[in-house]
Amino acid sequence: MSLPSKLRAPRRNRAIGRFRAVRRRTAVAAAVSGFAVLVSSCTVANSDSLGGSGTGLRVVLPEEPPTLEPCESSLTSTGVVVRSNITQPLIERNPKSGDLDPLLATGWKRTSDTQWTFTMRDGVDFQDGTAFNARDAAYSIERAVNSDLGCNVDGYVFGEDPLEVEAVDEKTLTVESKEPDPILPLRLSFVEIVPTSTSTAKKVRQPVGTGPYEIGRWDTGLKLRLDRNKRYWGKAPAYENVTYQWRAEGTVRAAMVTSDEADVALKLGPLDGAGDLGVNHPNNETTALRLTGDEPPLDDPRIRRAVNYALDKRGIVKSLFSGLGKPAGQLVPSGVLGHNPGIKPWPHDLKKAKALVNAAKADGVPTGKQILMVGRNELFPRVSETAEVLQEQLTQAGLNIKLKMVDESAHLEYQLRPFVPDAGPVALLIQHGNQAGDAAFTVDQYMKAEGAQSVMGTKRFDRMIAEAGRKSGKARQDAYEELLDQQNSEVTQFAHIAHMTGVIALSPHVSYTPNSATNDEMRLADIRPAG
Amino acid sequence: MITFLRRRALTSVIPLAVVVLGVFCLARLTGNPASLYLPLNATDRMRQEFAERNGFDQPVLSQMFDYLGGVLRLDFGESLRTGQAAGGMALDAFPATLQLAGFTMLIAVLGSAVVGSWAALKPNGLADRVCSTMSMVAASVPDFWLAIVGVWIFAVTLGWLPTSGVTGHGIWILPIATLAVRPFGVLVQVVRGAMVSALSSPYVKLARSKGADDYRIVTRHALRNAAAPALTVAGDLTVGLVNGAVVVETIFGWPGIGKLMIDSILQRDFAVLQAAVLLTAVAIFVLNILIDVCYALLDARVRQTVKT
Repeated sequence: MSLPSKLRAPRRNRAIGRFRAVRRRTAVAAAVSGFAVLVSSCTVANSDSLGGSGTGLRVVLPEEPPTLEPCESSLTSTGVVVRSNITQPLIERNPKSGDLDPLLATGWKRTSDTQWTFTMRDGVDFQDGTAFNARDAAYSIERAVNSDLGCNVDGYVFGEDPLEVEAVDEKTLTVESKEPDPILPLRLSFVEIVPTSTSTAKKVRQPVGTGPYEIGRWDTGLKLRLDRNKRYWGKAPAYENVTYQWRAEGTVRAAMVTSDEADVALKLGPLDGAGDLGVNHPNNETTALRLTGDEPPLDDPRIRRAVNYALDKRGIVKSLFSGLGKPAGQLVPSGVLGHNPGIKPWPHDLKKAKALVNAAKADGVPTGKQILMVGRNELFPRVSETAEVLQEQLTQAGLNIKLKMVDESAHLEYQLRPFVPDAGPVALLIQHGNQAGDAAFTVDQYMKAEGAQSVMGTKRFDRMIAEAGRKSGKARQDAYEELLDQQNSEVTQFAHIAHMTGVIALSPHVSYTPNSATNDEMRLADIRPAG
Repeated sequence: MITFLRRRALTSVIPLAVVVLGVFCLARLTGNPASLYLPLNATDRMRQEFAERNGFDQPVLSQMFDYLGGVLRLDFGESLRTGQAAGGMALDAFPATLQLAGFTMLIAVLGSAVVGSWAALKPNGLADRVCSTMSMVAASVPDFWLAIVGVWIFAVTLGWLPTSGVTGHGIWILPIATLAVRPFGVLVQVVRGAMVSALSSPYVKLARSKGADDYRIVTRHALRNAAAPALTVAGDLTVGLVNGAVVVETIFGWPGIGKLMIDSILQRDFAVLQAAVLLTAVAIFVLNILIDVCYALLDARVRQTVKT
C-alpha cells in the first residue's frame, strides 16, 4: 500500500531525513565506541590484583618511594622499603637496645685511631646470584660516600672528608677516616651493600641486594610488590610476598586496615580512626621552637627563657596530641646515646615568663617587636592547631608573634643555611628525628655555631662538641649529657615541646611490635602472621 | 569545518607558547630545589655538584633555551625525584585522570539532563523545589569532606566498597561519586533553568497544540535547544577535572595528573611539572575545540557561522 502522492514527503525532505538518521546513528556509534574505549581503558588504572591475600603481607605507606636507590635510603620514604628488606648493611643498629648487631659483617674492631677493620660473612649471595665479598662492601661505601652520585646518605651520615676504603682480601675490609671516629661502625650501618655491577654513573631505581626480599614488580603510581628472596642467606621471612600501596590521607590508611584492605598502615595520627587496631610506638622525633639569637628581642637570653616558661607543654601533649608523647626538655630522646635523664622540661610558669619579658623591656629591649613563628604544614598531626596555641601562649607572655604556615620547601629555607635573609627574629617550629641513635647526629647539626640547622652557638660550646665527638663509651655519654644541659642553661636556642609518639595500625592477622625505627626502616622479617 | 579546526589550532599556538614559558618562569620563582633533594646537612660541595648535575648552575636564559629545545624534541628531561623521563611520567598519569573525568562527566551530564528536565516540567512544583534544594547542596559540598565521609560510611562502616585501591570495579564508585556530585548539582541548575525557558517558547506551545506528549516535547524539542548553555558549563567543569581532580586523586591514591602536578610543585620537580602542565594545556585546547564542534552540531546558527 502506498500513500497518496500529496501526503508523501518531498524527495528532498526524505534525503535530509535519511542524512539526519545516518548522522544520528554515527553519533550514537561514536558515543558507544567512546564509552567502550573508556571502559576498556580502565585496565590502565586497575592493573592486576594485589598479592596480599593468604601468603602475602599488605602495607600502606603515606607516599610512594621516589626511588629504591640504596644510597638514598636515609630518605624515609625510600628507607622504609629498602633498608634490611631488599638490601642490607654490614652492621645493623638494634632500635630497641641501641646495640650494633652483625649483619653482612660478622665482626669489626678498631685497628688504629682512624682505622676500623671488618670481617665479611661467608655464604651470602646477592639476588642476582653473584657471591658477596669485601670488594662489594668497599665498592658500596665508595659509591655512597666518595662518588659524585650525590647520595643522600653521604650528607646525612658522613662529613666532607672522604673515607679510605680497602678490600684487603675477600673477607676483610678496612675503612679509614681522616679524623678519629669512634662511631664509624654506626655510620656504616647506614650504607646498604650492593654488588659491584651497580652503576656509579647514575642512581638505580631498582637495586639488587642481599636482603630477604627482592623486587617483584613495581607499577609506578599504583603499587610495589616484593617477593621472598629464594637465595637469602638467613632465615626465610614469614610472608611469601609483600605489597606496598600508598595513600596520603591518614584516615584512609587507617580505614584500609580496619576494613581489611591492608595489614599494616604507617604514620597515623591519634585521630585518624585506627581505633583498637592502632599501636603506639616511640619514634625518636622531638618537636621544638628554634629561636634565632641575632636580633632583638630574641637576642636577649631572658626572652628565650621566657619563651620556654610560657609554653604549656603538658597541656599541648594532653589536648592536641591526645596524650601521645611526653613534654621535652632536650632535643635528644631517651634511647639515644647522650640523652640526659636529669634534664626536666621547663615548667609552665606564665608569671615568670611575663616577669622576664618585663625585665627585658625595662632594660630597653624592644619586646613588642614582631617575632615570626614559622610552622610547616603536615609536619605532624594537628600541627596548625599546635602552632596557634604556641602563638597564643607567647602572646600572653607579652611577645608579639606573627604565625606563618608554609610547605616543606619554604620551611627548609628557614631551617637550613643559608637562612632566609632579613627574616627578622624567627621562632621556627621544627621536628627533629634522631634515628641514628647517637647525640652527635643532633648536636653537630643543631648546636654547633655553624651547624647546618643551627642559628646560635659559642666557641666554647663548639669545642665541647668537638671533644664529645672524639670520646666513646661512658665518657661520650657523659660529655653529651653535659652539652645538652648547657644548651638549656647557657645557650637556650630551643624551646622544647614534646618527644613524640607514633601510631601505626595493625591488622589482627599480623604480629609485629613497632619500634623507634619503624617509620624509617620497617624490617619485614620481623612481621609474622598472628597466632 | 576543516578550516574552522585549522583556525582554532593556529590560534591555540600562542596561548600554548605562553603556557610553556610561564610554567618555566613560575616554577623557578619557587626557589632552589637543592634543599629538598640533598640531606639537611649537605655540604657546599654537594650543593655545587647537585646544581651542576641538573644544570641549575647555568644562567636562567640558558636553562630556558635548553628547555625550549627539549620541548621541540618532546624531551622534557628527567624527574629530580624519581630519575624517570618527565614526559613519560606525565603521559602515564594522564589516562587515569581522563578515565576519572570521562566517567564523572558522563554520569553528571546524563543525570542532570534527566533531573533538570523533570524539575523544569512543573516550575515551583514539589519536584522542582526538591531538585533545586538538592542540587544547591550538591554544588556546595566540599569534595574532600565528601570523600572522607564516603570512605567512612561505605567502606569502613558498611563495608560495601573498598576505601581506595587498584583492583576491581568497586574502586571506581567512591572517587566518581565524590567527583560527580558537584558537576551534577551545578548542571541540574543550568539544565533546569534552560529547560524552563525552552518549555515556555512558542515552538513548544505549537508542539503541545499538535498533541505531542511531555516525553517527546522534552527529548525532541526542548532539550536540544536547552543543551547549549549546559554544554558551556559542562565544558568548564570537564576542563577543571582534566586539569586534575587533586583532592580526590590524593585521598583515593589515584595516580592521575593532578596528583602528579601537586607532588611536582611541592617537590620542586621542575621537569615533571613542565611536562604535566604542557600536556594538560594541550588536552584542554583539544577539549575546547571539541566543545566548539559540539556547539556546531547542536545549533544550526553556529554551523552557519563556522561555514562563513
